[in-house]
Amino acid sequence: MTTPALQRAVGAVLTIGTGLGVALLALGVVQMAAAGAGPLDRPFPPFDPGKLVPDVIALRGQGFLWLGLLVVVVTPAARVLASLIGFALERDRRMVGVALAILAVIGLSASLGAGV
Amino acid sequence: MAQLLFLMAGGAIAGVFGALLGLGGGILIVPLLTLGFGMPLRESIGTSLVCVIVTSSAAASVYLRRDVANLRLGMTLELFTATAAMAGGLIAFVLPDRALAVMFAALLLAVAVTMADGLRRTPPAASSEPATQERAATTPSGRAGFAESLSGPGYRVRNMGLGVAGSLLAGLVSALFGVGGGIVKVPVMNLVMGVPLRVATATSNLMIGVTASAGALVYLYRGGINPLVTAPAALGVFAGASVASRLSHRVNPHVLRILFVVVLLFTAIQMASKGLS
Repeated sequence: MTTPALQRAVGAVLTIGTGLGVALLALGVVQMAAAGAGPLDRPFPPFDPGKLVPDVIALRGQGFLWLGLLVVVVTPAARVLASLIGFALERDRRMVGVALAILAVIGLSASLGAGV
Repeated sequence: MAQLLFLMAGGAIAGVFGALLGLGGGILIVPLLTLGFGMPLRESIGTSLVCVIVTSSAAASVYLRRDVANLRLGMTLELFTATAAMAGGLIAFVLPDRALAVMFAALLLAVAVTMADGLRRTPPAASSEPATQERAATTPSGRAGFAESLSGPGYRVRNMGLGVAGSLLAGLVSALFGVGGGIVKVPVMNLVMGVPLRVATATSNLMIGVTASAGALVYLYRGGINPLVTAPAALGVFAGASVASRLSHRVNPHVLRILFVVVLLFTAIQMASKGLS
């Protein structure tokens, strides 16, 4: 059974990731409402990783929305990474292998989604 | 502005229902967006996957801190749910919208029938905790097999092969329909693998994040996630699920289940007619 310390650390990663993601989404929604944009407006701003940082620096609503969504989507992967470190410290090679394989699948999903 | 508020309120209702019934809310988000807001089905599924990740991450953090979820078992199984979710995400983009709508209606119907069946029975606590105490006494130590190394205090994991098969199915269902897949994982872990119901529910919740994430990344890069809709819906679901955790002891689960079955059946008919029209 996993040590309570590892479980707590992994739980903390989820709490921080979710909190940060939700906060960014809330900021984006407030800016979106202030700008008069509706949720059903078309076309919606496309996901462009290259524009994320410039949009956030320029305080554009779409930057916060996309960054918040990205944080939410990658939080589970961050949890796997934290588990990997924990299992490595516990010298549990089998679970380190499992964690690495999960991260590889998540990476492959992103690559296949992007058509790379 | 009104649309924004309706969307957040709809998300909150889905979050309350999902959290109170342990379903995550995804099963209501897709029909809400598709039938209520006229959104394309694939965008609704992408939105739902993000909502599911938010609720799963928030709930799983609590389960981990309370030492209820089995991290090792969850991670081992989520390797398979995530792989299937990646495939499901790719399949969803080649399936015609109508086929996807009809399949979603079938899923709603299956969940409604399962819940209605559960209403007819009053499961005694013992039936959902399959003889864990006796097994605990026989749990071997030392040269334990892999499945046994995933066991927890008071229970021993068995039937890993079936668990893997169930996980693959859950992952596929998750990415195709934008749901958490708990409807498959919880019974498989509890009834087939010998994991106590409370641990199975918590572990399923933990697994949903990575599973939905693998599917959501495909949707994200393929234009299947609309940030203008997803952000308010996710905030609504998060708020609803948070409120539900405080309401859970005041709500009669039997009445809630009956209401939910009616909603699911109505929604299934609407989705099927959308797909077949």
